[in-house]
Amino acid sequence: MNLSYIATLMPALMQGLAQTLKLFALTLIFSLPLGLVFTLGSISRVPPLRWVSRIYIWIFRGTPLMLQLFFIYYGLPFMGLTFDRFPAAVLTFVLNYAAYFAEIYRAGIQSIDRGQHEAAKTLGFTPWQTMRYIIIPQTVSRVIPPVCNETITLVKDTALVTAIGVGELLKAAQGAVNRDVNITAYAVAALIYLAITFVMTMAYERLERYFSRHQKKEG
Amino acid sequence: MPILQVENVSKQFGSFEALRDISLTVEKGEAVAIIGSSGSGKSTLLRCVCNLEKVSAGQILIDGEALVSTQSGVVRYPKEKEIRRICMKTAMVFQQFNLFPHLTCLENVTITPIKILKQNKAEALANAKRLLQLVGLEDKADSYPAMLSGGQQQRVAIARALAINPDIMLFDEPTSALDPELTAEVTAVIAKLAAQDITMLIVTHEMEFARSVADRILFFEDGQIIGQGSSADFFDNQQNERIKRFLSGFQK
Ligand SMILES: Nc1ncnc2c1ncn2[C@@H]1O[C@H](COP(=O)(O)OP(=O)(O)OP(=O)(O)O)[C@@H](O)[C@H]1O
Ligand SMILES: [Mg+2]
Repeated sequence: MNLSYIATLMPALMQGLAQTLKLFALTLIFSLPLGLVFTLGSISRVPPLRWVSRIYIWIFRGTPLMLQLFFIYYGLPFMGLTFDRFPAAVLTFVLNYAAYFAEIYRAGIQSIDRGQHEAAKTLGFTPWQTMRYIIIPQTVSRVIPPVCNETITLVKDTALVTAIGVGELLKAAQGAVNRDVNITAYAVAALIYLAITFVMTMAYERLERYFSRHQKKEG
Repeated sequence: MPILQVENVSKQFGSFEALRDISLTVEKGEAVAIIGSSGSGKSTLLRCVCNLEKVSAGQILIDGEALVSTQSGVVRYPKEKEIRRICMKTAMVFQQFNLFPHLTCLENVTITPIKILKQNKAEALANAKRLLQLVGLEDKADSYPAMLSGGQQQRVAIARALAINPDIMLFDEPTSALDPELTAEVTAVIAKLAAQDITMLIVTHEMEFARSVADRILFFEDGQIIGQGSSADFFDNQQNERIKRFLSGFQK
């Protein structure tokens, strides 16, 4: 392993990393709010909404992400829906992660004490106003730790899209390894993933501290 | 016209009858205390009045408006929106306070007037400060509930309930979750409200408090009112053996 060899790898790895981060960011931007939509659906008092949301969550959590990826990229064209690799990857990840986030949010919402709903109701809040002003704000601090965990999983899951040929970090490393018959690129890629998850873990600890500030006495 | 009229209300949980044909009225300015043993239906009655439970039969009128009525065996509630409007004439204070932990004390008091009643912000704020002062907590306005003692939390909950300017305040064992030394600060606030002729229906296990604050006492047993009277009469001239036994259990 020498540094000048590593330096020659970097442009390709950095390009791959850019794709990885783009997939990561797009997935979060769309799946975090979409998850809330499915959460509200899954606890809705309107039965069709409830069932559609629950079945959706069940399917996307109950089948492998890789299979979903293959289905959307290779399978949907048979039904006349064709996506390029990268959009197919984003779509799959958004749909999949939305289901996971929906479950996290639902657990968070349902962990809020019944007394909160009752207090709001006796003050004249509609169910929606109760959600908006009372339940969801309290849920935020409770779901932050599991959501953060999930996003760390997401960083690693992005590597799965190599399977449909998206040129992200792992794919770039793999290309270099095959070309040079040298596994250094894998090691560098591993270090990059570690660096990302390390920085995220640090950031999340601060975030959690910030959001749990009201729980402590003399916060 | 009475502020609250409960007529022939029954409430079933499955096959269990928590309230059996209960009738009572609370007049404007009156403080009425409900006492009785555990499981006798006291909370259930309050919860029916503020629509946390639906009655199985009977009629509830708040300030003359029907929250629920029953005609030839059919229980009828108005539309949700109408229910909310009628129930906002009542305000409930819970045993467990149920303050909103993500909001400061001041915000707990202002959230309903501002977000739900769409009152002018400045007015709502001024009114909330006045209410916090009334319960003796103006200096805790910016604290979060978790930083307060139970007694202080309950006083904020009282201010929060008063902020919707209800016609009748409902208290469900407001001091039961409190240490004895904190009970006094809450009962003092409630006594202050009674002195201002705020209409109240109070469920309590504090006999001294009931005697001093309430104009009238209702005694619940097995989902029925088996005795009632003016405060002095009820405690000092009680004839009913069952109630006498209950009361003697509270003598220190
Ligand atoms: N949601 C419910 N489902 C089934 N049974 C219930 C429910 N709520 C109350 N009950 C029953 O109804 C009866 C009356 O309950 P309630 O809470 O009104 O009593 P209480 O007089 O307030 O008692 P306590 O002094 O212990 O608070 C009890 O036997 C209780 O178990
Ligand atoms: Mg009770």
